[in-house]
Amino acid sequence: MNLVARSLRQSVKIACLGLAVSLAACATRPDPANPAAVQAYEETNDPIEPVNRYFFELNRFFDIILIKPVATWYDGVVPDAGRQGIRNFLDNFRSTVVIANDSLQGNWDRAGSAASRFGINSTIGVLGLFDPATGMGYPQHREDFGQTLATYGVPEGPYIFLPVLGPSPPRDLTGFAVDSFFDPLTYIYWGGPYTVPVTRFVINGIDVRSRNLGTLDQIERTSVDYYATVRSLYRQSRASEIANGETDHENLPDIDNLNFDTNEPQAVAP
Amino acid sequence: MTAALLTRKLIAPLAFACTLFAASLAVSAPANAANDAAAEAFVTDVSTRAIAIISDKGADTAARQVAFGKLLDETADWPKIAAFALGQYLRLPTPEQKTEYLGLVRDFVVKVYVTRLADYHNEKLVITSSMPKGDKQAIVESQINFTNGREPVKVTWWLIKDASGSYKIFDLNVVGIWLAQEQRSSFTSVISNNKEDFNALLTHLKAQINSAGN
Repeated sequence: MNLVARSLRQSVKIACLGLAVSLAACATRPDPANPAAVQAYEETNDPIEPVNRYFFELNRFFDIILIKPVATWYDGVVPDAGRQGIRNFLDNFRSTVVIANDSLQGNWDRAGSAASRFGINSTIGVLGLFDPATGMGYPQHREDFGQTLATYGVPEGPYIFLPVLGPSPPRDLTGFAVDSFFDPLTYIYWGGPYTVPVTRFVINGIDVRSRNLGTLDQIERTSVDYYATVRSLYRQSRASEIANGETDHENLPDIDNLNFDTNEPQAVAP
Repeated sequence: MTAALLTRKLIAPLAFACTLFAASLAVSAPANAANDAAAEAFVTDVSTRAIAIISDKGADTAARQVAFGKLLDETADWPKIAAFALGQYLRLPTPEQKTEYLGLVRDFVVKVYVTRLADYHNEKLVITSSMPKGDKQAIVESQINFTNGREPVKVTWWLIKDASGSYKIFDLNVVGIWLAQEQRSSFTSVISNNKEDFNALLTHLKAQINSAGN
């Protein structure tokens, strides 16, 4: 026991040291005389990249030693129907968050659809274990307060990668915190004990991870830079969620003047 | 109420409705004309051939990669894709490095997407809409419908005309992710994190080509 405690303390010390080193090393600022580099830096918007990469690797480490094995076990041992039931139950529990945010976005059709889903699945769907609502023309959709803020015009802010939570730029982190106020469990277990909310958080995490076992492996294996790929995937999928799945064809990058062979100084988009 | 007044009361909304109808016709007519038949035909052709390659049970991975590479050589605008993926570093490589990079990007994309597309074998891609974008580009919206009841996957094709006026693939958006943008973010990240050494990207690409798709 003593040995465990000592090695634990040791690893905390190392982690702190690593953090201090990476905090000292912020992402290199671009040469202000080079407009293309400045524009790229602003587009990447990852000023504390070394710290983010540190936490990214830390998360990956815990994923390899703990989360992935548990998720793999969950995927292999719990039958499909059981896992689907758990997923449906968790999603149904989130309905209040979805309805609140649909309403805050003035999206009454979607709020109505989410409310109908909640009514149908909580009753006919046996407390949300089944999802008969999808078959009745109320397909599932997701909303969170980060998306609501985005529809109000709040920018995402710099990229931040946190331990456990993963990609959490300020707007989405705020959304995560605000959403807990739309969640009945917050009030039921206000002031503790937190066993139920924590259990839900853990099971949800394991379920999400178990659904991405193949995909994440594949992305990792086929990425030149896994961290940068995840950053791009996160931002793009958030943008798509905010637009409720619609692709915006007007704001695509200008590719007309893109010429692979030219060596003229690079033009910068206005 | 006099008959004249009644008529006026009835006619005013009717006229308004007619104006609305005419206006909607005027709006919808060009929208219909905006369909780009050539772009749709191109996407149908490419997707049919790609799915046939991925679904070919007789071929092993290497043979699939060769067939898929051939298809993309014919239908993808490699230089544009490669240039886009370099972002602000487009002027960094020497002509020799550029040539090597172009070949590596091609091999990399072919290997990666033969692996990533393996899920879609025997499925069908249905075009949902299309529209020209400027004079040289087109956007085609489509979805892959699954036979096993899985939710359809939305795929948007971004096409660009080559010098001869026929369409080539520039980028694909799969469930909200533009693939060329995903690649650009990791390519530029490798270069900037290796003190802007272009060879670092070439080394990384070679390593990925050797490990991906095996």
